[in-house]
Amino acid sequence: MTVVTAGTVVKADGPVYLDALGPGGPYRTRVPSGVTDVSGTDVARLSLVPPVYVHRALAALRKAEAVPTAGLDTLLETAAEEFATGTVGGLGVREYEHLVSRTSGSPLTVVRTATRDTARFVGLARSSADRGRPRGAARHSGDPTLGSRHAVWARRGEVFAVNASGNHPGVHRLWLEALTLGYRVAVRPSRREPFTPHRLVGALHRAGVREDQLVLLPTDHQAAGALIRGADRAVVYGGDDVVARYAHDARVLPQGPGRTKILVTADTDWRGYLDTIVASVADEGGTACVNATAVLVEGDPAPLAEAVADRLSRLPGLPPQDARAVLPVYPLDRARALDSYLRKVAAGTRAWLGGDGIVDDLGDGSAVLRPAVHQVDHAGAPQPRAELPFPCVWIAPWTRSDGIAPLRDTLVLSLLSRDHALLATLLAEPTIANVYAGDRPTYWMAPGVPHDSYLSDFLMRSKAVVGFE
Amino acid sequence: MTYESPSVLDAGPSDGVDPDEFLRAAMRWHFDPATGSRYWLDRAERLAFDPRQDVKGVADLSLFPDLTDELRHVPVADLIPRGYGGDARLINVFDSGGTTGAPKRVVQLDDWMRHSTEQVDRRLREHGLPLGAQWLTVAPTGPHLVGDVLQRAAAALGGPALSIDMDPRWVKKLIAAGRGDEVESYTDHLVEQCRRILLTQDVGVLAATTALLERFAREDDLLERINGSVRAILWGGTHMDPDTRHLLATEVFPDVPLIGMYGNTMMLTALLERPGLDASQPCVFDPVSPYVFLSVVDPATGERVEVGERGQVIVSHVSKSMLIPNNAERDTAVRVRPAGDHAGDAVADVAPVATVKGETVIEGVY
Repeated sequence: MTVVTAGTVVKADGPVYLDALGPGGPYRTRVPSGVTDVSGTDVARLSLVPPVYVHRALAALRKAEAVPTAGLDTLLETAAEEFATGTVGGLGVREYEHLVSRTSGSPLTVVRTATRDTARFVGLARSSADRGRPRGAARHSGDPTLGSRHAVWARRGEVFAVNASGNHPGVHRLWLEALTLGYRVAVRPSRREPFTPHRLVGALHRAGVREDQLVLLPTDHQAAGALIRGADRAVVYGGDDVVARYAHDARVLPQGPGRTKILVTADTDWRGYLDTIVASVADEGGTACVNATAVLVEGDPAPLAEAVADRLSRLPGLPPQDARAVLPVYPLDRARALDSYLRKVAAGTRAWLGGDGIVDDLGDGSAVLRPAVHQVDHAGAPQPRAELPFPCVWIAPWTRSDGIAPLRDTLVLSLLSRDHALLATLLAEPTIANVYAGDRPTYWMAPGVPHDSYLSDFLMRSKAVVGFE
Repeated sequence: MTYESPSVLDAGPSDGVDPDEFLRAAMRWHFDPATGSRYWLDRAERLAFDPRQDVKGVADLSLFPDLTDELRHVPVADLIPRGYGGDARLINVFDSGGTTGAPKRVVQLDDWMRHSTEQVDRRLREHGLPLGAQWLTVAPTGPHLVGDVLQRAAAALGGPALSIDMDPRWVKKLIAAGRGDEVESYTDHLVEQCRRILLTQDVGVLAATTALLERFAREDDLLERINGSVRAILWGGTHMDPDTRHLLATEVFPDVPLIGMYGNTMMLTALLERPGLDASQPCVFDPVSPYVFLSVVDPATGERVEVGERGQVIVSHVSKSMLIPNNAERDTAVRVRPAGDHAGDAVADVAPVATVKGETVIEGVY
């Protein structure tokens, strides 16, 4: 029996326990750690496992066989349905979404959309992963095309680990592909929002993935290092510090700041794309790596900055679980820290919105972060590299003589232009991961479309196989 | 010349002397200009009380300020009570780990070494440790107390001790510098040395740090060997959280009793886990009357917490050879009533003091 009220989920049968999901089943520590919502209220108890548990779980994964490919699509579709509609780990989908919203601070509608989208990604994970397979490589040694191809797609290791983030439920779509490629997977959830991976791992177990093929290992920071070192391949989310730490470790794929950008050239009137530009900045609560951090404009950027600021200024400040909420909410201390950081970074720029502060105190220990729009005076200014977890955009002038230097280090570059030569140049630039053109928001994603290349580029290799045909 | 000390101050751990009486004798000894150390006589004038008058029992140890920071610089000769005269037999000088800066130094004299070894030996026998079995100790030696305690314990039980040395300060430096790979390499180096001993020698007692035991858990051949032939495992040197302890006791080493040891340099000995508790119960360490007293306090107020509550561990060492009162450890523990007639508190589930980090901003959405 569960009562969902405006502020809290009250479970009549006690607190929500998020156990580790280990190779031998759920595991609860003696003193589980508290998971607090944005106002600091305890909403769940998360079992953080010690390093010795991590090592034993990894050893069990290593001994287990890969999830069989036969029947895999059906299994994934069952898991997707379970994730989207079932009661998993004692939580119905509405309770789950409420808790994600209250802990991550993401608007409830963002979380709900993410539930449906994630289910779609789960159901299609096998075929999505297969899209990254080289044309020359057969799926496996039993593939009848092996004889003509003389190559097979093979894993680079056996155990894959994810050190996940909690900024958006969508980050958990990625590791599904590793599972379908035969890796045994260990997911370390974010301590802020562990509900999504707990639900997804639980749904996959119920659909038939064995407990020694997929584990959920909540840990503290120290044991996270043991997890990453103990896996053959790992994806780690974090800031520039994390990217730098793993830059020379071929086993680790860091997922750092996206620094997503929009470029509008002089041949295109941005007014026709204002909805898309505003959506790119602020949809999803502005907390995704695919939200736009900078808009570069060939010509005077002030009118665009003014128009974007005008639109964003109208967004309401509401608690995250309010169905009308669109802006992210954080614990007040964190919100204030982000606000003062923004003040420091924005010094010397022209504030169109948020120059007087962005903290909208909700009075319960949490605060909405309101949007910020700042204009910098040249494309090479340092501010547009500052990606922050709320709708925060830097508007910069761009000229042909600036070239593509200010467009580098970008996860999604959205080009509003008719200049095909420029498009070709951007596509050729190695530090730009994805290029979108026209009326697509920067956060557009679909199953089978690479996010930061195909994950399989990191997980798989092609091996020559001759003589077995 | 040697001064006669009151016989109570020479009491061994089995003599059952009254801890308050022992303490009063210790105050007379350490603060008498004829018998006290230069270190304490110099400081006596700066104390806001007269130890010989005002310290009437164990509870009054809280009158002392925590002066242990000064042990980072004091010449060790100044620590030896004058009352020993020319007979002082200095066996060891031990350093603290140096986690919080330059190490603090303490001295181990011959008489204390005997008392310390006797109390450790007694408690190990209570745990039913085999006599005459071969030991392997994997612990820091040299300036570190723990290796010395273990090797003397092995000898007391008639067990020859094979040992592998380690340098915890270097490991701490590597960790602080974020050089996790080198920590792994160093640990591998220790494991390889242990493997050679474990696979060729008949080891009956294994004494190792928590980190090493966790590392052994990843080595199937060592697990088979340890579970097959080792009859007791002693762990110590660092903390062990209750979940790790339970996993090690029930899954990793299900066939070998796991016995915790809590000690630090300022204690000048090691406390052994209270016997008779299984791995699902808290790991309790009793003090050692009349030499080592513990209290568990609220770090903000200095007041003792209630029994069953967690607080900061305060350790006092009182012996003829040294006085180290009221040392605030970087440990927290749950306050427990001590067993038998031990004075002060016992402690359970010892853990490191949590460090509080302020709100910092790292750019990016993760």
